[in-house]
Amino acid sequence: MPDTAQLQTFTAGVETAVDVAQIERQLHELWQLAAESAKDPSQRQITRACLLNFIVFCETDAESAHASEVISTLTSQHPCRAIVLLVQPDVASAELSASISAHCHLAGTGQKQVCCEQIAIHASGPGVAHLGAAVLPLLESDLPTVLWWQGDFLKRIDLFRRLVAVADRVIYDTSTWTDPQPQLGDLARRITEHPRCSFVDLSWTRLGLWRRLAAEFFDAPNCRTELARIRTVDIVHGHGPGASLRALLYGSWIAAQLNWPVAEARQKIHLSAREDRDATSVGILSIAIKTDDATFSIRKNFGESTASATVDMPNACGLPHKRAFWPEDDTSLLSQELDLGTRHTVYEKALALAVIEDVSR
Amino acid sequence: MQTAPPTNPLQEGLSAQRTPEPCVVVIFGATGDLTHRKLVPALYNLAHEGQLPQSFAIVGFARRPKTHDQFRAELRDAVAHSSRFQPINPAVWESLAQAIFYHQSEFGDAQGYQKLNAFLQKLDAERGTAGHRLFYLATAPTEFIGIIEQLGANGLIHSQHAPTASQRIIVEKPFGHSLSTAEELNQALAGAFDERQIFRIDHYLGKETVQNIAALRFANEIFEPLWNQKYVDHIQITVAESLGVEGRGSYYDGSGALRDMVQNHMMQLLSLVAMEPPTTLDGPAIHDEKVKVLRAIRPMTPEQVQQFTVRGQYARGSMAGQAVPAYREEKNVSPDSRTETFVALKLFIENWRWFGVPFYLRHGKRLPKGVAEIAVQFKAPPAVLFGAESTTPLQPNALVMRIQPDEGIAIRMNAKVPGNALNLQPVKMDFRYGGSFGAHSPEAYERLLHDAIIGDSTLFTRRDEVERSWQIVDAIIEGWNSAPAPFPYESGIWGPPEADKFIERDGREWRRP
Repeated sequence: MPDTAQLQTFTAGVETAVDVAQIERQLHELWQLAAESAKDPSQRQITRACLLNFIVFCETDAESAHASEVISTLTSQHPCRAIVLLVQPDVASAELSASISAHCHLAGTGQKQVCCEQIAIHASGPGVAHLGAAVLPLLESDLPTVLWWQGDFLKRIDLFRRLVAVADRVIYDTSTWTDPQPQLGDLARRITEHPRCSFVDLSWTRLGLWRRLAAEFFDAPNCRTELARIRTVDIVHGHGPGASLRALLYGSWIAAQLNWPVAEARQKIHLSAREDRDATSVGILSIAIKTDDATFSIRKNFGESTASATVDMPNACGLPHKRAFWPEDDTSLLSQELDLGTRHTVYEKALALAVIEDVSR
Repeated sequence: MQTAPPTNPLQEGLSAQRTPEPCVVVIFGATGDLTHRKLVPALYNLAHEGQLPQSFAIVGFARRPKTHDQFRAELRDAVAHSSRFQPINPAVWESLAQAIFYHQSEFGDAQGYQKLNAFLQKLDAERGTAGHRLFYLATAPTEFIGIIEQLGANGLIHSQHAPTASQRIIVEKPFGHSLSTAEELNQALAGAFDERQIFRIDHYLGKETVQNIAALRFANEIFEPLWNQKYVDHIQITVAESLGVEGRGSYYDGSGALRDMVQNHMMQLLSLVAMEPPTTLDGPAIHDEKVKVLRAIRPMTPEQVQQFTVRGQYARGSMAGQAVPAYREEKNVSPDSRTETFVALKLFIENWRWFGVPFYLRHGKRLPKGVAEIAVQFKAPPAVLFGAESTTPLQPNALVMRIQPDEGIAIRMNAKVPGNALNLQPVKMDFRYGGSFGAHSPEAYERLLHDAIIGDSTLFTRRDEVERSWQIVDAIIEGWNSAPAPFPYESGIWGPPEADKFIERDGREWRRP
């Protein structure tokens, strides 16, 4: 049975090594001790909260440290059981070790702490073969399981298959992949292989404001008629990681939502790259949607995390306006995705078209 | 000419929230406390969340002379103080501030409304707001009818330059002072607006837990089969305030606890808890079910008022270690006031589901803590099995929906205490919004303003609901006219001892929230 000092270490977020087979037992004893301590009025009350299983796949110590940092903030909005997997199959020595810690946040204005547990598992060499069996019993029953894969899961397809089998959602970020565009076809195939699982690319999440601003142009019925009259969509992007893929996804989104056949999409959507010296850049630099009578433009403002939308049209649909980009760090993007919790059919449609469009270009 | 597709395909999947159409929000009483503390911070929060339409403007209408820039500067301070997003985001504020304007006029001056109309048409041309209006009455209630009449008389409602545009009006509580004054207000509203254009705001309905009542009942199959007279012993609805009248003495002394809280907030809570499943979650379907409940409440005769109600008035006492004055010693309160600051009621809903189940409503000021909750108290199980064996009396199950503070839901059940003896002890399963979903719920006004802008009346009250609530409350007030003065209670306790006796006569007791 752990003692009060161990409980304090645990709730302070310090990792404590445990035997892989004893993880559940150790956690159970710690929470039991926390419940008993709560009877002492001098002790701060602790509540454990859990709304989902959140598995994070990492291959390096840096990714693992980043995951812990993200989880520490994310749990204040999305209480979960976090399972951080540090997987190093290419290391010779076989290892399967674990540690536990907690992330605690003060709830509201009171003195009660809401805590979530983090289980870290390190598997290397032949030990990786036991990973699936180590993770499965750790999943909280009756709760959704989200798998955040840091890096390119297509390169670890066997491991991915084992983990995706228990996941309801998979979140990944193609902007961290070395060369994602040639892999789009493979990615789309993997998605269709798992119809019960929802997939989302954080590169797609980053397009949120760009999509919203374009959509808002056509909210008013008199402007919506312009959708059928679009002649060209010019998308200018920078050279940063994933920038061209984001532009391709964006163009494919417009084409897919407007039911353009591939040939029409190819004819109307123009992607081009431009030198980008803006440190605040987020990939796409500007968009211009042109019809016979109007131009709908969105451009990123240099040096600011904002975008401006303007309409050049008689009887304009709305005024020029400026919106701030939503934060683009991993914690904010993941939080947005966990808030939504639905299947991204719009993303899947855009990706499917992007595959064909990219090949035919 | 090309016809527009019925929906915007680019909006698919962007947000579960419906996108508001272009709109100008005109706030009457723009220099008042409500505008500064609640309305404009809520609009800023909506802008921060990207939930305001692209073509949008706010026009403040008030008596004091002020420039647009002075008004913007005041509102910036208000937003910095009261927004849930801190610190203020300069890009969001700048964009919103460009859409804020001030219009100075007396509320009864026809010329002021004509100038307002011209100004709004200018804004339509400049900002693409296309004649859509949302008028917000945030003034003293005495101004409501005059403003409504001026809006109608000066062409602000049925605009000729934008005949298809929507014009809506939000009316703050109180909706009248009695059934007759409520009818008078409703008559004035009906003379200028259709019912679907009228949004009577009750900020309680914008609270997450209140919205969650329908979700809890109708999205969880385990509760609904038990939600009736077969299994429920009684229901307690408590809205307790630790504060006194806080400078509202002159208003409160003419109003009292029953009118101030029971007629609106508590009747709404009761109708949501007791209503039948609506056919859809649309406004009209929910209003229909709520008003059926209110119509089924058994009316009280003057004699029954003595039997089914208790009223009290706070006396001196202490709150949080500080001595506090009696109600009659408060500023602008008559020293021989008979106004109640505490009320306890027992109501019966005469329908199949709730026949014989008492609904106890309790509200008061200067009670030990500020708390609002609905407790569904289930019947006790037969004492055959555990009654004799257990050393502690068996407590019936209770389902408690906490509205404030610590919004959440708790279930009390009985469990065996570990050990050789068969001792049962009540345990609580507690769900807290703050713990499970983080502290990012929108403010009640945020949700309600957004709904009014998109024209969704679900979380507002309809004319027939308001008038039926007043009928119930008027009958009680009539009974009190011939009754002794309210029972005094010491500030800082749970109301007068008579309130305890009142429920104990039924073999029950008040919950200690």
